Amino acid sequence: MSQLLHWLIVALIAVQVTLGLIGLELPLGMEKLATLARHKSIGLTILALAAIRLLWRWLNPTPALPDNLTAIERFLARCTHAGLYALLFALPLTGWIMSSARGFPVSWFNLVQLPNLVSRSDALYHAMIEVHAALAIALGLMLALHIAGALRHHFLLKDDTLRRMLPGRATAAARCGLAADSSRNSC
Amino acid sequence: MPASRLTGALTLLAAVSLAASARAVARDTSYALLPAHSSLTYTFTQAGAANQGRFNTFTVRFDPTAGRLAVTVEMRSFDTGDSQRNRILAGKDFFDVARYPQARFTASRLIRTATGYRAVGALTLRGVTRTVAVPFTWRIADIGGRHVGLLTGRTTIRRLDFGIGRGQWRSTEWLGNAVTLHYALQLVPGH
Repeated sequence: MSQLLHWLIVALIAVQVTLGLIGLELPLGMEKLATLARHKSIGLTILALAAIRLLWRWLNPTPALPDNLTAIERFLARCTHAGLYALLFALPLTGWIMSSARGFPVSWFNLVQLPNLVSRSDALYHAMIEVHAALAIALGLMLALHIAGALRHHFLLKDDTLRRMLPGRATAAARCGLAADSSRNSC
Repeated sequence: MPASRLTGALTLLAAVSLAASARAVARDTSYALLPAHSSLTYTFTQAGAANQGRFNTFTVRFDPTAGRLAVTVEMRSFDTGDSQRNRILAGKDFFDVARYPQARFTASRLIRTATGYRAVGALTLRGVTRTVAVPFTWRIADIGGRHVGLLTGRTTIRRLDFGIGRGQWRSTEWLGNAVTLHYALQLVPGH
């Protein structure tokens, strides 16, 4: 479940960044309206998925970090994960605030209209554009760190951290997660 | 001779006063708008969410006795709260305010309903005239010692019926066809 959510969020982030950049470039018109509407809908979906994953994580303990990590490495791994979660929440929320401040209510795929988070404010709208863009860049950096960490585990440390996140290993990962305390070595 | 002259004078006086009172009655049954206490807004669906706009300048003449309702809206006075969107809406693809500066509604029939009226008449918007039925409630209130008529209601029209939204905007996927007009007007007797 946690793994499925992880890759679903990865796929949606890829679509999301593409839509965001296209929407930014398009001239005012139907295409821009449609692109940004989809960007908002997917952003809300990511927000919901991130919330579900966090809830899942809270209910189901995550596999322990490998033993071969130093305290600093553990700290870095935790920071990256916390940062990624923070951004998965902050990006959709700042986007939602941006739309509300602009006076454009947000809907989820033309199906459900969401309430405005703030009232109309040009100053807040312009501030949110800056914050949203800065957070997007921060997400890029965090993802680079996250991927670099995963690759380091796989190629340099030669442990199971990356492999247990890959599809087809769901049962093994789940077993490891559940049995992390008693038989960590088998993971 | 003096008697008949007197009768003639009295007849004339009666006729004049009758005409005057008839005019007075006609004046009394007609209501005019209190712009500061009236609003004409509209809601439309943009990307699946309800958005709002308003017209700031319009006139209304309502005469329930004579069965007349006439509304004129200055199209340039619209505002959707967003300058970029306003620019697009004012342009040729939408309201084309330069060519069609006014929208008009003139009721040809006023049908009494339980709470007010249904005005059936011609709505001219962006140069296209169509028959629409405009339902509204009508009640008289005493506001600050003043005899005020409250006209409220809403009616939904389809923007494409009036050619509002051309080219790419003919699609209703991201900009709904239905536009609901909301009116909450205060009117006072006289001009």
